[in-house]
This record gives sequence, C-alpha cells and structure tokens, in this order.
Amino acid sequence: MTVQSLEAILLTGLVLGSLYALISTGLSMVWGTLRIFNFAYGSFMTVGAYVAWTIADKSALGAGIWLGVVIAIAVLIALGMLSERILIAPFIKRRDVALIAIITTLAASLFFENGAQILWGPRLKQLPAMVQGNVRFLGTMVDLQDVIVMISAPIVLGLVALFLYRTRLGRAIRAVEQNRDSALLAGVNVPLIYSLTFGFSAGLASVAGVILGITRFITPTMGDAPLLEAFIVVILGGLGSLGGTMVAAYIIALIEATCMTFLGLYWTPVVLFAIMILTLVFKPTGLFGKE
Amino acid sequence: MAPPLLEVKDLHVGYGEVQVLRGVSIDLQDKERIGLFGPNGHGKTTLLKTISGLLRPWKGEIRFAGKVISGKSPRELVEVGIIQVPQGNTLFPRMSVMENLLIGAYADRAWKKRRQGLERVFELFPRLAERKSQLCRTLSGGERQMLAMGVGLMGHGQVLMLDEPTLGLAPKIKDELREAIQQIAATGVPMILVEQDLEFLLALTDRLLLVQEGRIVLEKTHASSEIEHARILEMYFGGLDQAEPDLALGGKIT
Repeated sequence: MTVQSLEAILLTGLVLGSLYALISTGLSMVWGTLRIFNFAYGSFMTVGAYVAWTIADKSALGAGIWLGVVIAIAVLIALGMLSERILIAPFIKRRDVALIAIITTLAASLFFENGAQILWGPRLKQLPAMVQGNVRFLGTMVDLQDVIVMISAPIVLGLVALFLYRTRLGRAIRAVEQNRDSALLAGVNVPLIYSLTFGFSAGLASVAGVILGITRFITPTMGDAPLLEAFIVVILGGLGSLGGTMVAAYIIALIEATCMTFLGLYWTPVVLFAIMILTLVFKPTGLFGKE
Repeated sequence: MAPPLLEVKDLHVGYGEVQVLRGVSIDLQDKERIGLFGPNGHGKTTLLKTISGLLRPWKGEIRFAGKVISGKSPRELVEVGIIQVPQGNTLFPRMSVMENLLIGAYADRAWKKRRQGLERVFELFPRLAERKSQLCRTLSGGERQMLAMGVGLMGHGQVLMLDEPTLGLAPKIKDELREAIQQIAATGVPMILVEQDLEFLLALTDRLLLVQEGRIVLEKTHASSEIEHARILEMYFGGLDQAEPDLALGGKIT
C-alpha cells in the first residue's frame, strides 16, 4: 500500500463519514424517539436537494447556494412535521405502529420521488459548490468543498448535541426517547415532540441532500443508496447514542473507502452488508447501543 | 362539607379486554391525605394511572375542583396540578440527576418555579444535591426513589400521588424516605399514597381505603374511631371472607 493510496482512503473516508454521520443521526433520532423506521428519509434528502437547487441555480431563482441551504432546511423541517402528522400520528397508539409506519413511510417515499420527477423532471441536476479552490490537507491538495463537507457534520451535529443537552425542548426529546410514560407524567407534550423530532430529522436530511447534490448529482432517487448506508451505520452504532452513531458513520465510511480501493465497486456493498449481518447476529444492540 | 378537591365516581378501567377497576369511587378533600392498600394486581396502580391520564376510563368520571378532568391527556393534567410518582422509580436513565429534576418541572406552571423547586428537593434530599451531575442509572435504588420523588415535587402539584415509594428498599433507606414523605405531607399538599405498610399509612393518612378485585371494599376513617390495627391487619391478611360485615363501618361496598 502506497502512502498516496492511504491518504486518498483517509480523505474519502472522512468526507463520506461526515455525510453518513449527518444522514444516520437524523434516522437514528426518529428511530430512538418514535420507535419507527422512516423509509421516507431518503426522499427527504432528495426533496431538500431539489429545493436548494430551485433557490440556488441560475436557471431557477439564482439566489445562491447558501440561501438555498437555509431555505431547504426550513422547508424540510416543515415537511417533516407535516409528514409525521399524516403518516405516523394517526397510528401511534396502535400496537403495530412500527409495521404500519413501514408502509406509510414507503408510500410517502414513492410519492415524494415521483412528485420530484414531475416537478423537476428526470434530467440530472447539480448544485454549485459552496466554495472554490484547493487547500493542502494531510499532505495532499484537497478541494475546499471537500473540506466544507468534512467539517459540516462535526459542526451541525455539535449544534444538535447542544440543542439536545442544553435546552428545555431538547431535554424533553431525550426524555421521551428514554422513558415515554415518565415524560408524559412530567407534562411533556409527547405528540408535539414526535412531530418536532421528525421535523429536525428531515432538516438534517436536507443538509445531507445538499451535500449529495454538490458532490454527486440530483436525481429523484438520489436518496435511496445513502439511506441504505445510513441504515447499516445505525445498526452498527446502536440505538440511543448520538456519539455511537457518529463513530459508526466514520467506521463504515473508512471501511467503504478501503474496500473501494482494494476490492472495487462490486464487492464493497457485500462487505458493508456482511458487517450489518454480523452486527445483528453477534451484537444486536450495536457497538454503543443501550439495553 | 366543602366539595371534594378530587372526586372519582364509579370508575371502570382496564387494559385491552381485561377489566381491572369495577366501579371505584373515592374523594379527596383539600389538605387531606388518603392511603390505598390491598393485594398486588387488584387495581391500586391502575387507579392512579387513570387519575393521571395514562389510562382512559371505560366508564365513570373524575372531577378536580368541580371540573370534569377524565379523558384529558397527562400533559393537561400535569398543568392542572395532578402529579403521579410512578411505581418502581422509572426515570430517565441516561440523564443526570439535575436533568431528571428539570424534566420534572417541564410543565409551564412548574417551569417558572423550577429554582424554588430545586432548592426544596435538595433540602429534602441532600444526597441528590451531592450527585447533581451523576447519571441516573448509576444511582442506588434508594437514591433513584428519592430522585423519583424529587421529580414529582418539581411539578408543584395540587395533588401528589405516590405509588409504593418504598417498595423493595432496605429498612434504613425506607425510614429515610418515610421521613421525607412526612415532611412533604407537613406542607399540607393533598396526597394519595399507595403503600403496603399499614403502620406507615395509618400514621400519615386521614383515611384508609382497601382496594380489592377492582373495588374499594373498605373505607376506614380513623380520625373518628380508635385505630384498630390488629383488625385491619387481620382483615387484610386473613381475607375479607372471614371479616364480619359490621367491620366495614362507614365503608362502601360497591
């Protein structure tokens, strides 16, 4: 193994890891708090990217990428809260809500993906880079945009952690996640917390969608593959641990980058899914999962 | 007599298909403390859960200060001031003592008084003050129970319902907690206390209700008559079948 390839692996791993950390945190928040898996999460990334594109691209509104990001986050938080009201809230008291949510969120995902195709067309789109230029990093020249991606997860997730650990509302979200009944008895508005959690998670999805839209392309099904990767990350990291999810994101990303270099595109998913299966067999609670 | 602060009328409640409460009626006057006792699984906890809104009544009505409150959500009832400290100190395991207490004051009414609440809890349980930043799951059983009561106190309730607060604790810690409960009672807050220890209930409450098979089978106002420990104990452990009907003086059999 040459030094160059090691550097390349590390770089790819850090960029990918940042992206996966963002995606899987949103997914794991909903999983931990509402106890359901949101299959529409990938399509939230898609819609977020398209909204940002509409604001930012010169052929659309042309207001710049930064405004695009802000508006995409706001729109997706609202869309997430609305989705929870329609897809989850009517069924939350049922014992089989986890199964129903699979169906309703899958349906929503089809709805959003096809809706995006109708609204924005099937042609590939791309978001403009946030910054131009290169910097020296780890001894190699790195695209400045990659650096932005690399630091985006630590910054965004740092803010999320501040919110969850230092504010009244954030504490209430954690309380509902840890003990729903006791949270109810303390006067926490649990339905509102469910809705907000879904909204925040969609907001995180939109940040990830924008990053995907800059580094890859925007298509109606762009969220599908990253959602699968995030699924593996959440299983490896375990439930109810923000830090665990982050660490797992970087582990998976570095493994993926290594496999891509030595095994190639074809065998990488095999390795990743093998990790998922081994986790489920030998440590179903994940590396850092509770209970 | 003034209208009761809390009034439960002909309450029927169950889980799924299984009925637990079969027509329970109780009332609680302002500043009054009542004790519930009886065998496990006969509806004491179910009654508290229904009053606090965790369970919805199948039939019957609950009023607080004259207004119907049955059917309201737990959150609305906490805002009203009905606080339940659940059995088995189920708290928030991955939160610190301080964070648990702050969640206890989550309701708007209590949030404004949270500093006052913290002071009161730490005065009552100095041990919690020492362990402010410790994670809840690392506390001992007794400390967890103290924290559970602290979380309840942070809600500044108009009615405090304690569900077996000393269950499964070592005698020394039991005494400590009982002293704290006595101090809370001395503030005059109306209480519904579920306990297995009759001596403790008799010392602390104005009335005792025996809950059996989803009904209140005996109500004993021991302010009026000489307390007859022995007879109640006999009834409780010996079974009601052997009890003479005239023992249920002032009680209602529904």
